[in-house]
Amino acid sequence: MRSTMYSRMLFGLAIVLVFIWLVPVMWVVLTSVKPTNIINSAVPIFFDFAPTLDHYVEVFERFRFGRSMLNSFVTVGVSTLIVMIIALPAAYAVARMNLMHGDTWALVILSLRFMPGMVIVLPYFKIATFLNLIDTQIVLIVVYVAFGLPFAVWILRGFLLDLPKDIEEAGRLDGLSWIQIIFRLIMPMAAPGIAVTAIFTFVFSWNEFLFALFLTLDKGSTMPVALQKTIDLYNVLWGSLSAGAVLQLLPMILVVFLLQKHIARGLALGAVK
Amino acid sequence: MTVSLKNLRKTFADGTDAVKSIDLDIEQGEFITLLGPSGCGKTTTLRLIAGLEEPTSGEIYINGRQVNDVDPGDRDIAMVFQSYALYPHMTALQNMTLNLTVSGLSKEEANKKALETARTLGLEELLDKKPGKLSGGQRQRVALGRAMVRDPVCYLMDEPLSNLDLKLRELMRTELKRIHKKDKVTTVYVTHDQAEALILSDRVTVMKDGEIQQIGDPVEIYGNPANEFVAEFIGSPSINLIKADVVDNGIAIEGNLVSNRNFPTANGGVNLGVRPEDVILSVTESGGLKGKIEFTEPQGGVVHAFVNLDLSEKKLKNRDYLVVSMDVHESIDVGTTVGVKFREERINYFDCGTGRSLAETT
Ligand SMILES: Nc1ncnc2c1ncn2[C@@H]1O[C@H](COP(=O)(O)OP(=O)(O)O)[C@@H](O)[C@H]1O
Ligand SMILES: [Mg+2]
Repeated sequence: MRSTMYSRMLFGLAIVLVFIWLVPVMWVVLTSVKPTNIINSAVPIFFDFAPTLDHYVEVFERFRFGRSMLNSFVTVGVSTLIVMIIALPAAYAVARMNLMHGDTWALVILSLRFMPGMVIVLPYFKIATFLNLIDTQIVLIVVYVAFGLPFAVWILRGFLLDLPKDIEEAGRLDGLSWIQIIFRLIMPMAAPGIAVTAIFTFVFSWNEFLFALFLTLDKGSTMPVALQKTIDLYNVLWGSLSAGAVLQLLPMILVVFLLQKHIARGLALGAVK
Repeated sequence: MTVSLKNLRKTFADGTDAVKSIDLDIEQGEFITLLGPSGCGKTTTLRLIAGLEEPTSGEIYINGRQVNDVDPGDRDIAMVFQSYALYPHMTALQNMTLNLTVSGLSKEEANKKALETARTLGLEELLDKKPGKLSGGQRQRVALGRAMVRDPVCYLMDEPLSNLDLKLRELMRTELKRIHKKDKVTTVYVTHDQAEALILSDRVTVMKDGEIQQIGDPVEIYGNPANEFVAEFIGSPSINLIKADVVDNGIAIEGNLVSNRNFPTANGGVNLGVRPEDVILSVTESGGLKGKIEFTEPQGGVVHAFVNLDLSEKKLKNRDYLVVSMDVHESIDVGTTVGVKFREERINYFDCGTGRSLAETT
């Protein structure tokens, strides 16, 4: 009896959550393929229209979404790669090498993430202007690495702490060097954790808006910045905005779909601790 | 000498003195165990030999070479971990060949060697399986195979059988003995199981609190323990320790003479160490030490009798009843009052104050 009550409540809760999460997504997806006159109709029309790809064409032609998309992929992809390359050995050091106050340092570094972006974006802007890096992919890559790294080290550290130490010791006895231990033992064993960390790092930068807004204008701008240009002082181009939003969402869905096995395992591993 | 430890110490960062001054010479081809209760420093000693811990002071020699600063991988030793520590993402074969390929052997040669080893361990069928798909006993064999395939100077084994169930443990114990007899590779074997140590070892090193208590072959350790700790730790059921007095003509328990030996140095009295099988009970005896059989524990071939000694005060250390092994065919009924005698030549004598054996003093 109790358990059916309980599961019914859970079911109800799930429906509410799905509603809160998915309805806006559905709205955006629908809007992105609605003709403009239907979007602007006084009486909302939800499904009864002939779908069009006009808005998608428009974001690419008028708002140069192709370039922004490329920028997004380059800045976020490269910064995530750099983050992962640095974070893995760093996390290994924090987790294993009995550094002096290693845990404290890890926490201090992580807490840098807590800083409101506004606090540092202006100095960054000044520095970037001075270095002539405004509106380049480089500046965003640097910033995303700086911001992604502490967090990545922290999550990876948790995963690495979960790995049995004696397997690495067996590796040492088998003659593996530190580098070989990381590449041949740690990386395969921590693959789910590495995947989860990389995804988080990627997603945070992918959705990042504030730094991108301040540090890029046009030729270096990423998708969130380009998207924002569909809103001007007088007008919101709902169709283009929605089409752009869908384009920004698609890679995320793809990534999660492709790596869902790893993600599930990785999250479960992390939760066991 | 394959492995030599000279005044080896290990104090951990938190101040734990895990190993306090150990001297040990391990002969070529010897099977030696480090035996002792949990926390006595066995694993730490083994890890020091392996190079997984750095000694606080002292020296380690392997094949005559001082290896204090040599990497674990270059010490030419192989370790079998208590948890097996197999590489979970590699097949059994890859687990066994990793060292070989890392040290420069071609893949074909490595596989060939691994296959030979696998054959002696009955692992051929399992070679392409990952550890997750193997049973505990099979993992144990793979771990053993990974060590054997390297032809090391020395095997280090840390309680390798402790995660197996009883039947499998006995099987693997025999297997280890067979392998050692065949290959004669020096083996340092850590265990807290005294029976396992006695069965497997050429020599047993009994440890306590980071110090060696006694080194000797199993017969010596069992028959002539160096102190009360070793006496009590070895043997099951454990030895009876009985407080006795030094009298003019020998040793007596409340006036009942039990031995003619004399220990002028033991003025505080002596503790007698008497193994359960060295007590003779008789239903007919009149004079001398007496007691009553309170209960028995049949063990198949032998029956353990728990005898309440007829004494005015408690003389037994750490127990209330004198434990006696009887042949099942000659066992005496519960409730019987019996005469108690000890096989005099088998009695161990310990100084009451220090607990040390008095065997050397006469
Ligand atoms: N890395 C370590 N840091 C601090 N103390 C340790 C460490 N490893 C072992 N010890 C302590 O050292 C002592 C000996 O441990 P160990 O060698 O594992 O004993 P055994 O294997 O005989 O059970 C124990 O008191 C243990 O708690
Ligand atoms: Mg141990």
